[in-house]
Amino acid sequence: MHIPDGFVPPSICLAGYAISGGVTWYSLREIQRDRDPQSSIPKSALFTAVFFIASLIHIPAPPPLTSFHLVLNGMMGTLLGYYAFLAIPIGLFFQAVMFQHGGMSTLGINAVIMGLPAIVAYYVFRLRSHLPRKQQFWTKALAFISGASAVLLSATLFAAIAIGTISPELNAATERTAIYLSLGSYLIQALVEGTFTVMIVSFLEKVKPELLQV
Amino acid sequence: MKDPRILLFLLFSSGFAQPVYAHGARIDYQQTSAIVIRATYDDGTPMAKAQAVVYAPDDPSTPWLKGMTDESGKFTFVPDAELSGNWDVKVRQAGHGDLVSIPLEQDAIAESSTTATMNSSMSATDIVSYSPGQKLLMAISGVWGFIGTALFFYRK
Repeated sequence: MHIPDGFVPPSICLAGYAISGGVTWYSLREIQRDRDPQSSIPKSALFTAVFFIASLIHIPAPPPLTSFHLVLNGMMGTLLGYYAFLAIPIGLFFQAVMFQHGGMSTLGINAVIMGLPAIVAYYVFRLRSHLPRKQQFWTKALAFISGASAVLLSATLFAAIAIGTISPELNAATERTAIYLSLGSYLIQALVEGTFTVMIVSFLEKVKPELLQV
Repeated sequence: MKDPRILLFLLFSSGFAQPVYAHGARIDYQQTSAIVIRATYDDGTPMAKAQAVVYAPDDPSTPWLKGMTDESGKFTFVPDAELSGNWDVKVRQAGHGDLVSIPLEQDAIAESSTTATMNSSMSATDIVSYSPGQKLLMAISGVWGFIGTALFFYRK
């Protein structure tokens, strides 16, 4: 769901940069409140690597759909909190520069599409602290919800922008149908990413539970 | 064909199915060089039935031609030989797609030198495609950069 160069008007690109700039500023301010902000940097850098590489791995999907790649923004938000909004633009930057996945002019808007849902996922996962009973089950359930909902939210944002920017020279009806069809594949992707987030979270909970305290 | 009625029916039906007018038909032809683009997704699957829009060099904002890619993601068009410069072709499907700029020299077309146009179109697409080995190396070096950052901040 990376928007390539030249597909959205300059005003949208600028708005994307403005919004992601504002959210980055806010994220930095939230990070400053940490007792030791530097201690989370190794974790953030490692998960940026995972995010960067995830979009290169194509997972085959059932016949009507071709294949998809994991975005993992829900997992990023769950594990990194506000650091996710710094990690995601960095990952996107390298994806755009090295693999032409996305583009420089659309970096801002792509950061919004993938970064904002990551922060939403973080808040969903944080609800865990309000649920004292059945920690095990609720941790898994919340991990799944945050992993899956981030993808669905990103897909919705992407579809909204794609539909909103159908240029007049395109056949709008055809393009709109194609976008609605693609939402089906994002639904499968959401299930996969939710499961993946559950796996990572349960693994970390056994091995290094302090990593989950963002 | 024992039954004469069938023969009669065939005679009539063929006569009605292909009405012959008393106009002569003529087909002219001329050889020209066309541009074939092929749009694929990252994983190599063709972008079938995607919308393709061609922009002429003299007016890059209004579409010169609109069309659709075929099942194998291919789209063919014949550029106007009068216009030299960059022909932009945009292929889009469900918000995904790409834009390719194909440089065409006027004299190259005028001489109908197919090789020149072929080469230029090849070079335009070559910029964006790496071999799997190159991609792997780039991915590994990128990942190593992030891991290095992690290790740097991890040291005590």
